[in-house]
Amino acid sequence: MIEARGLTKRYASVAAVDDLSFRIRPGIVTGFLGPNGAGKTTTMRLILGLDHPTAGTVTINGRAHPRLPRPMHEVGALLDARAVHGGRSARNHLLCLAQTNGIPRRRVDEVLGVVGLAGVAAKRSKGFSLGMSQRLGIAAALLGDPQILMFDEPVNGLDPEGILWIRTLMRGLAAEGRTVFVSSHLMSEMEHTADHVVVIGRGRLIADCAMAEFIARSSGQAVLVRTPEPDALARAVTAAGARVAGAGDGDPRGLEVSGLTEERIGDIAFAHGIRLHHMAPSRASLEQAFMELTADSVEYHAGPAASRQPSHVGMEN
Amino acid sequence: MAAIASQEGSRRGPADGPRAGSAGTLRSEFTKIRSVRSTYWTLFLLVVAGIAWSVAYCAGEVSHWSTTPAQQRLGFDPTQASIVGLALLGQLVIVVLGTLAITSEYSTGMIRTSLTVMPRRGVLYGAKAAVFTAAALIVALLTSFASFFIGQALLTSTHVSATLSQPNVWRAVIGAALYVALCGLFAFGLGAILRSTAGAMTAAYGLLFLVPQLAKALPSGWYADLDRWLPGGDVVNAITGTQNVNANANLFSAWGEFAVFGTYTAIVLIAGLVLLLRRDA
Repeated sequence: MIEARGLTKRYASVAAVDDLSFRIRPGIVTGFLGPNGAGKTTTMRLILGLDHPTAGTVTINGRAHPRLPRPMHEVGALLDARAVHGGRSARNHLLCLAQTNGIPRRRVDEVLGVVGLAGVAAKRSKGFSLGMSQRLGIAAALLGDPQILMFDEPVNGLDPEGILWIRTLMRGLAAEGRTVFVSSHLMSEMEHTADHVVVIGRGRLIADCAMAEFIARSSGQAVLVRTPEPDALARAVTAAGARVAGAGDGDPRGLEVSGLTEERIGDIAFAHGIRLHHMAPSRASLEQAFMELTADSVEYHAGPAASRQPSHVGMEN
Repeated sequence: MAAIASQEGSRRGPADGPRAGSAGTLRSEFTKIRSVRSTYWTLFLLVVAGIAWSVAYCAGEVSHWSTTPAQQRLGFDPTQASIVGLALLGQLVIVVLGTLAITSEYSTGMIRTSLTVMPRRGVLYGAKAAVFTAAALIVALLTSFASFFIGQALLTSTHVSATLSQPNVWRAVIGAALYVALCGLFAFGLGAILRSTAGAMTAAYGLLFLVPQLAKALPSGWYADLDRWLPGGDVVNAITGTQNVNANANLFSAWGEFAVFGTYTAIVLIAGLVLLLRRDA
């Protein structure tokens, strides 16, 4: 359990993290979302005690990170995969970390096997690809077999295979009952990985809710319809109170109709004698939901606008 | 995914293990220093520089000893001839290792990982300084004794070669090594303050070499009063010299100069610690 209360970090006059309060619970993957510069990394650095908060507190299992008796057994973190001494071999890198917490040498080889780096254990890490560095960073996080894992933008720059591997790993860690806290600015990535989301913008909490709820609340449901007579259908459903987006004869994506159920749209089409070739619910993408929610904070970032209260969606507690 | 959890016995849970502390951190820092090539290169260079100087200096003396005037022979300090190179060249070399011991953590970003696994920053700093000092001191001591014995062996034909039983010789041989280690720690502290390899090395060389040289431009009366308080410079002569006839009247005794430079080193090290504790990593 990671718990932040009124967490604030100010640099000169800029608040990188502004009065954040949240709880990250075990057994699920919690996505930590926000545009670039929203304060995700700063928050993670505050959790790990690397930065000192200006105000507020953040605890891991009830204690501030520097007070954890054996930190590696309670929390494992991957902040920056390139933050290793490139002249040191993968095995020695992990060994020097393990030794601080009295973790035996055989555990080093064990985690090298888990992340698939056993074959390059004796190689200096400066020659590693980004994907390999990422795996080394994850090996370091797993060394102490901790109950809490934090990953900062773990899929950045990875190939599809690497992304799939990390996604599977995170889901597996959560399924074992661990707390998995992972940040990303790629909404589409989190959509498939996270069960819960904490969204921030300009250092402020925007949403803290289940992923499904986040999507549902952020954007209305729509139905995608393809028909050879789009204009006629658009007129008919608009008359019935729906809103229509997309459209045009040549548009292969068809019409996006919101405000009516699939059944009603089908009935209206039948009543007007309009043929339908395709009809399916179009789940609002997480990307859109995210853009809508953080629009204020991004806008605010670009220039001073009137300060607006963030809209909290489904706050916990 | 079961493989992620460690196998039975290879891990003890948070509750039953000992608190992560100094012993493990010392082991960790030893692993760090022994697992990068720069350590071996710099220490190798230290050994070579110390011994090569001794050989060159002492062999040179022997080659023109027969033509050396008696007055000059009296002023010749065989101990100093064999070990002054370690102090003079060694300080150049050890500054690199002392700086890198801490600034490489910053330049690579490793410091964030190090502090995540060992968040008690004072423990990390102390362990790092201790391991560096031990490595530097052991290698410097071995080099100092090797330089001394090789130099004295070469000087046998002059019949002035020194032995460890003569006055001040032990002090000079050990002192040369201590001085080298102290210079390394001085650079280590500057590295902790500046967190940049180039910055810390420039500062260390500036304070050890440039400042004593610039001070010579002062009016001679001022310089005579200031000399004993300067780091580097004439200190090397005071520490490696064994003969009172050569003593520089401006300076404290060898141990006095040690105390002065040791105090500067302590100030720099403490400043580095305080900044590490207070700053964001």
